[in-house]
Amino acid sequence: MVSDFLPKCTGPLEAGYEPAGWDGATLREMLEASEKLTEETGCYYGVSELALKETDPIRYEKIFSKLRGGLVNARETAMNVSASPIVQEIGELCFALYTPEGDSVALSTGIIVHVHTMSDAIKFMVRNDYEINPRIRRGDIFSNNIPKIGDVHNADVQTFVPIFWEDELVGWAGGVTHVTDIGASTPGNVPVGPITSYEDGLDLTANKIGECDTVFRDHEIRCELGVRTPMFWKLDERCRIAGCHMVRDAVERTIREEGIETYKQFIREAIEDGRRTFIQRVKELLIPGRYFAPTFNMLLFAGERGLPEYAAVDTMSQAPVEMVIGPAGEFHISFDGANRWGYHSFNCPPSAMQGAIWVLLTQTMIPNDKVNDGAYFATSSNFPPYTISNATAKEAATGAAWGYLIPAFTGLIRNISRGVFARGYVEEVLSSYAMTMNALQGGGKDQYGNDTGLLSFELSCVGGGARGIADGLDYGAAMWNPEGDMGDCEVWELIMPLLYLGRGVKPSTAGPGKYRGGSGFQSVYAIWKTVDLVMQNAGDSGCFPSPGIFGGYPSASGYRHNVLGTDLLDRFRKHRAYPSREDDPADSEITACCDGEHLFDRRTMNYPYRMKHGDIYYSWYRGGGGLGDPLEREPDRIEADLDGDYLLPRYAASVYGAVAECDPEGFWRVDPDATARRRREIREMRARRAVPVSEYLASEKARVLEGRIAKETRRMYNESLELSTWWREWFLEFWGLPDDFRFEEGGE
Amino acid sequence: MSSRHAPRILAIDAGGTMTDTFVIDEKGAFVVGKAQTTPDDEAQGFLSSSRDALSYWDTTVEEAFPSLVTGIYSGTSMLNRLLERKGRKVGVIVSKGMEDYFRLERGVQSYLGYSYSDRLHVCTHQHNEPLVPRHLVRGVPERIDVFGDAAIPLDEEAAARAVEELLDLGVEAICVNFLFSYRNPAHELQMKDIAEEVLERKGSEVPVTISSDHYSVRGDFPRLNTLTVEAFAAEPSRVHLRSIDSMVKEHGAHFDLRIMASHGGTISIESRELARTLVSGPIGGVIGAKWLCDHIGVENVFCTDIGGTSFDLAIITGGEYDVKTYPDMARTLFAIPLVEMDSVGEGTGSFVRINPTSCRIEIGPDSAGYRIGTSWPQGNIDTVTINDCDVVLGLINPDYFLGGDITLDREEALKSVQDQVAAPLGIDVYRAASGVVELFEDGLKNNVLSRIMGKGYAPVNYTLLSYGGGGPLHVGGIAEGMGFERVLVPAWAAGFSAFGCSCSEFEYRFNASLDLPVAPDISQDEKEGLVEMVNGQCAFLREKIVEEFSKSGVDEGEIVFRIFVRMQYMGQLRDLEVRTGFEWLDGPESLDEVIRDFEDLYAKVYALSARSPELGHLITQVVLSGTVEVEKPALPLEELYGDGPPTDASKGQRDVYWRGDWLKAGIWEMDRLKPGNRIAGLSIVESPATTLVIPPGWSAYLDEHWIFHLEPGKGV
Repeated sequence: MVSDFLPKCTGPLEAGYEPAGWDGATLREMLEASEKLTEETGCYYGVSELALKETDPIRYEKIFSKLRGGLVNARETAMNVSASPIVQEIGELCFALYTPEGDSVALSTGIIVHVHTMSDAIKFMVRNDYEINPRIRRGDIFSNNIPKIGDVHNADVQTFVPIFWEDELVGWAGGVTHVTDIGASTPGNVPVGPITSYEDGLDLTANKIGECDTVFRDHEIRCELGVRTPMFWKLDERCRIAGCHMVRDAVERTIREEGIETYKQFIREAIEDGRRTFIQRVKELLIPGRYFAPTFNMLLFAGERGLPEYAAVDTMSQAPVEMVIGPAGEFHISFDGANRWGYHSFNCPPSAMQGAIWVLLTQTMIPNDKVNDGAYFATSSNFPPYTISNATAKEAATGAAWGYLIPAFTGLIRNISRGVFARGYVEEVLSSYAMTMNALQGGGKDQYGNDTGLLSFELSCVGGGARGIADGLDYGAAMWNPEGDMGDCEVWELIMPLLYLGRGVKPSTAGPGKYRGGSGFQSVYAIWKTVDLVMQNAGDSGCFPSPGIFGGYPSASGYRHNVLGTDLLDRFRKHRAYPSREDDPADSEITACCDGEHLFDRRTMNYPYRMKHGDIYYSWYRGGGGLGDPLEREPDRIEADLDGDYLLPRYAASVYGAVAECDPEGFWRVDPDATARRRREIREMRARRAVPVSEYLASEKARVLEGRIAKETRRMYNESLELSTWWREWFLEFWGLPDDFRFEEGGE
Repeated sequence: MSSRHAPRILAIDAGGTMTDTFVIDEKGAFVVGKAQTTPDDEAQGFLSSSRDALSYWDTTVEEAFPSLVTGIYSGTSMLNRLLERKGRKVGVIVSKGMEDYFRLERGVQSYLGYSYSDRLHVCTHQHNEPLVPRHLVRGVPERIDVFGDAAIPLDEEAAARAVEELLDLGVEAICVNFLFSYRNPAHELQMKDIAEEVLERKGSEVPVTISSDHYSVRGDFPRLNTLTVEAFAAEPSRVHLRSIDSMVKEHGAHFDLRIMASHGGTISIESRELARTLVSGPIGGVIGAKWLCDHIGVENVFCTDIGGTSFDLAIITGGEYDVKTYPDMARTLFAIPLVEMDSVGEGTGSFVRINPTSCRIEIGPDSAGYRIGTSWPQGNIDTVTINDCDVVLGLINPDYFLGGDITLDREEALKSVQDQVAAPLGIDVYRAASGVVELFEDGLKNNVLSRIMGKGYAPVNYTLLSYGGGGPLHVGGIAEGMGFERVLVPAWAAGFSAFGCSCSEFEYRFNASLDLPVAPDISQDEKEGLVEMVNGQCAFLREKIVEEFSKSGVDEGEIVFRIFVRMQYMGQLRDLEVRTGFEWLDGPESLDEVIRDFEDLYAKVYALSARSPELGHLITQVVLSGTVEVEKPALPLEELYGDGPPTDASKGQRDVYWRGDWLKAGIWEMDRLKPGNRIAGLSIVESPATTLVIPPGWSAYLDEHWIFHLEPGKGV
């Protein structure tokens, strides 16, 4: 793991060194004091009274709006400096203001994932006495992208600028952008391929990268050589620095107007205020108790060419998401029972886990502009060491941490939904959001012959979970960004060597239910005018990471369908049919309208492989989980689903019990009476099939004892049995298993 | 003629509820009229509103219309047609596989127009009803690629079939939008030929439009939306506009009615691209500001328009406003130029609430709009608004709101502010009301500041211009402590947007995507080639402009052309508009000049350190503007009187709670003041349409053009 803090600096740099903290203290002393005060009083920094807010609520708000105004402005302006579509079209950037110790005071709009991640990175610098070596001075610039230090995944690159008032460091401006390529062993920004951290790409380990507001030339050269898309890199870095400097200006302006003492008081109070507000919100929205919602995901790498034997295996991950709400508004999240970290790039250090928590809480419980680290201080978490949820082992690769976070945290949404439902906030209920997958990723030469790393952010528009009062949002948001945007096809084709053959609704991706999940969509591309390209799929398959809620069904699980060595160009020339969609994999248009080597399987995670001009790459984006029994779905909604290609007709009958017919114009009619009859039959069949719970458990226990479950599941459970005492006891007690129980591994 | 005024210009802004009329005579004297908007027959509202305005000059429509030389119209009927999805039955033909455009709406349209909080709060997001239902969209096998090459040839049989099927379904218009048609229109042109053959065979006259012919810019979805809205909502609006035009002519007018377009110019109602007039009213103020400042010799202006529901801001730098190329309106993305204007959801009708969770003040984003607040019981509003706070503080005269047309209830305002704001915060009711107003003004201030800083400037470089019904009331609060070069409030602030429409040029502005790379090490010969390509595109746009003007009987010789080049660094996605004074680019040197201007502009807009000329440049679009001289309003010019206002202008004094103290404020009737007068703060200048507050320590000087200059520290 990353060294928990080097011994105190000694050496020539120490000579002549003046502490940058307040009243002659070092930053490290300030941090330690802050932690002690918070620990002892239960209030942030020992602020037990919000004196400024209470005596002058107006002035308090005015200071907040000035600082936040500066952050939003920094983001809006800096966004235009960046070049990458991820930043410009999708808005993947965020600025924040931190206390000298690294606690966030206010955040801009943007990826709110980073409420706390940059905080960890600042604290890392403080704890490691950066103040003494390499020194923290006015005009310095620092940069980090290491999740074990404080980040979600390596492609979120952070820039920090210290803010001084006279001789004291009064805060930090932090900015983060999601870069196009991070120089990992495989191309892209959520690289699926690295199996250790040594392949994660460019390492910026909270480095000093500039002084006097100027970036060091050696840093620029290093980055230019270290990533596949140096031009995007350069502009993204300029965008972050320009934004940080604008934040610094806003802080200096505020101090000039309000006075330094008021500013100092304000930043403490604002965080304590954030803490109290979060607690109050928890009390309003949730019912105290334990909520438990495990989620599973498969990683199918067995036999994958390009990976060593120990990494080329199929595994399964477990996210046993437990949420405990206390009577005084305590909010605790535990992943106790998660499986071991592994030789893949989906491992999550604690910062990454915090990122996922905050991006989801700001979409559900606290969707406002006032969130800060106070909310973090109002919560607690347990990510057990050595698990995939706390992968601090130095060699653990983290480049695609989202690969675990996305499936894992549907459990948090379902837990919150049960809480708000119990309180009566039905309209706030959401089933599981969709996996933001497939990730179309690759690299090589673009259509102009330049080096490139690709990731299509079309995936920011997947289906939402079914709502308590309506269907889920179709193709409109991502778990990590509620403001999805597929982007224009013409913009993607401008920057990627791809030719769209179609982009449309993908039927039966959503989880069925009384209210169905939001639908996913699909894009079919021809690889276009590139001489050298590798591509990969990154997605889920083999299980259901977007389960339904209250009887709703999970959304469809993933598959891959790409075609190599096609006859596509010949088909174009001869006006023969070519594929533009694949509505039904059982009756595939891609199969029917394209010859070649069809990679048509459940291998949705691949090591990159070569694709050529005219090959077909198929990317379909997932749907959200359903809510309620599908047999309760109103017939006219089913009719609309059929007419809109949201549902394959055969599932209208089998899942919804709908009796539907298509008229000569192609419009569907669901017969309500016949449907009611069919549904009665299905319910009767369900009743006939039902067995008492005790019998069911007995038969399942036999399966457990005999190990008649998939080998990946057995392996995963063994890891959990080994790593967690709590989970082990709970599991053994539930099934009534002996203390020394372990699954046999191997076989099928 | 019985009136001593000879009306020259008529400007009409038909809003959702009210139609405002602005009439100006040759000396710059003006009157404002109002009438209810009549959505079913806009001509009626137009007429009633004109009558109302002219009645102030004791004249009639029949008497006045023949003397008018210009009439400008802006309205919301097209926007309403779009919002309500009440348009023509349009069939759409797209590249095969892309038939779901309107349902997918790029995902992004599911939260456009939401407040920040709702954009985060994902369970509130909703897709729009598709502009065109899925069964009226047909895909045709074809593809042009990013290089403009035909990757997949057009399937002619499928093309003909698509047209036939759509006609059989009874469509009233057909729109064609193929991918990369802006790079190479060959397939769209081929498609149009095929469609015309089918139409002829079937004896149909359904119009067919292709995107490369109308909105030839990159961005397949915004381009499709624009083309479709043209057929769906704009063409039906043309029928209305023609009826208004003939009504005006029947009443003796000798001019062709022009409409305000989103790029800031006016165009003929016969223009082939009428969707450009979808949003026009709100930008009127910006155009008026530019005109005003051209006349009084001010280059940098920050425009602030405070209305009941929103705060609109725009910035004019070096005498030019910015233009957005992909704006969104009515939760729809467009590919038409729109005068850059930001709208913040905070106005004088914004609701004020104390968040029960955090006990913090929240203003907006929703508002009481024209229903004012709790102080107007007839409005049935039970939540406090900014207006209510202004009433509590004594800033608004409850008996002189809208000239006394409606009476406000100060007691009710006091009670609601006490119960809803002061009590939860544990502070005095006046302190609470004053705090809310300060916070409101501070929020607006931050917005102003961030736009100016974002441009790399400081307030001292700008003149703050304030208008809109609520502008003069809060301008002092916004200007305080900011250090603007000047703070100006026109006496006609309440009707400034309608006035602005009358100041706009008769201008067509067309753009076309080029995406021409300009490498850093390019040779003179290569530059020459690029210049030729830009000029080639300009020639195409020039033809369009000439054709449009010819509909109004304007000859090519009368048109003044200007090229604007939109460019960015290679690889970037946001471009900037470099406005040249050229009619054509002339040799490699002119390209060098454009690039130099771009570098300067970039450093101003973003940051000097962000300049990246080593990457090379990309010319994304060429824009051609063609303008023709038209009559504009004259600036009022009156003789200056002395400092001291006439005694009959004074309405006595009123107690006003100002930032923690009770002060005596002088009350003045605006119409009785004389140019040259100077009023010291704290004073309140009242007129039927608006209230100007002069803060303590400030004074207001009324100049010879009927513009108030708010100046700090100049008492009388």
